[in-house]
Amino acid sequence: MLKWLFMAILVFCLVFDFFAERHHAHFWGDHLIEFWAVFGLVGCLGMIVFCKGLSHVWLERDTDHYDK
Amino acid sequence: MTSSIFMHPAVLFIVGAMLLPLFKKYNAQKIWLVAVPLLAFLQIRYLPSSFGCVEWLGFKMQFGRVDQLTIVFLHVFTLMALIGSIFGLHVKESGQHASAWLYVAGSLGTTLAGDYLVVFIFWELMAFASVFLVWYRKQKRSIEAGYRYLLVHTTGGLILLGGIFLHYQRVHDLSFVAISPDTATLAEYLIMVGFMLNAAVPPIHAWLPDAYPEATVTGAVFMCAFTTKTAVYVLARGFAGFEALAILGAIMTLYGVFYAVIENDARRILAYHIVSQVGYMVCGVGIGTHMAINGACAHAYAHILYKALLFMGIGSVLEMTGRSKLSELGGLYKYMPFTMLFTVIGGISISGFPLTSGSYHLAETFHLLGFTALGFYLMVKYLTPHDVSNLDLDWFYRRGAGWFMWTARNPVSASNEWISNVYKNVGLRFTMALARALSWFDWEGIDWALDGSARGVVKGGEQVRQFQTGKLQQYIGGAVAALFIILIVVVFI
Repeated sequence: MLKWLFMAILVFCLVFDFFAERHHAHFWGDHLIEFWAVFGLVGCLGMIVFCKGLSHVWLERDTDHYDK
Repeated sequence: MTSSIFMHPAVLFIVGAMLLPLFKKYNAQKIWLVAVPLLAFLQIRYLPSSFGCVEWLGFKMQFGRVDQLTIVFLHVFTLMALIGSIFGLHVKESGQHASAWLYVAGSLGTTLAGDYLVVFIFWELMAFASVFLVWYRKQKRSIEAGYRYLLVHTTGGLILLGGIFLHYQRVHDLSFVAISPDTATLAEYLIMVGFMLNAAVPPIHAWLPDAYPEATVTGAVFMCAFTTKTAVYVLARGFAGFEALAILGAIMTLYGVFYAVIENDARRILAYHIVSQVGYMVCGVGIGTHMAINGACAHAYAHILYKALLFMGIGSVLEMTGRSKLSELGGLYKYMPFTMLFTVIGGISISGFPLTSGSYHLAETFHLLGFTALGFYLMVKYLTPHDVSNLDLDWFYRRGAGWFMWTARNPVSASNEWISNVYKNVGLRFTMALARALSWFDWEGIDWALDGSARGVVKGGEQVRQFQTGKLQQYIGGAVAALFIILIVVVFI
């Protein structure tokens, strides 16, 4: 139920952006429809994949790494 | 003029901390714990714009300087002291409360300071008081982390002091006012580095995620609020408009959040997220316009409150379960529903959810918030934390300390041994020969003279002893004979 409410809000946001005022844009991305939605989603996914990947291939150590 | 120093809110906390054991003795510690921060919170409204000017060794020290920028931070610091003290009411040890209050006093003193000397004094008080909040956890890991924390902050304090000295040598004025990026020299940059260390700007940020997760439950609530935000205040006061801060702040926001995503210990995640959030403030200070500084201060105010709330939530879990690793926790909403509720409130505030203190009310916010949430929702399985810890730049000083110890044990110790061998073989023989020569001289030279005279005295004494018979008539006879001889000599010559 909560999940579908969340999805409904997202859809509303997407639809709203087609009719939003763009006169006071501070940034070129403000002129593009759905820019911030795509930025949020892609940025989030990209960050998670990048960081988790970096952790797996390089950074992760045992919790007592420095005690050895 | 000097007496006006007693209206300083830090004095309230210092005296309050000293009287804590007394109140504990009479079972009034809880009342005192609420009364002092509440009094300070009310009192800061009535501070004059300048007070506590002291002349000391030819330096003019100003303990109180109040303007709009100061009052924002004073307000949130005293409020946070009140909230933190209430959260810590259950803790019976006076020592923990005392160190927390001295830490608050350091923070307030730095915020109110009008010159660099006073800044430095309270800066060090802050570092030395807060380390006890780590040590009071009383575990081996905390004690080690506390020492590392102290060493890093002492280094930062020395860099700051060096900068202050050079600054004084150049301008002969220690007043703490805004520095223009155009006139800044090495001295000002050293001061800035000292401040940046406390703001946890990479690459000198690693003390924060190293120490905070090892602090006590209530100590972490205090620590997350004061050190970094005091540093944001001093940067905003002195170094607004330095472009280096804008760039490093932007790096900081990403750096902190990257590590927060991959960590496992809940308090370590929050610690990394402090780095990220303080990055926004440092970036705002670096941009340096009126609006950017206002934004940084507003963010600092909101951040202190919700970050403390999150530390309280995680701290409650740690207090009840003894665990803070996410891989060992789960399903607690059934047993700790209020903790869950408040932690969620803190969590949505930090994401800028509408109607919370982190909200900025922008149209983009809904898009960013919603679709970032969707991203996390899709990746939640992939994000499952593992029981590992990630390398960070504390590697340099933790491994560095290891190398230092190795150097101390091996090359230094080995050369020490070599030198003592050389000494044993060469030096010791030489010393022995010298000792023998001296001994001969002592025996034959000095003793001959001294003992010779001593022997003379003994011999003379022995001969004199022959005359002493102890018989009175012989003495009288001798005396009469001597008198007779003297008379003859006097009469006839």
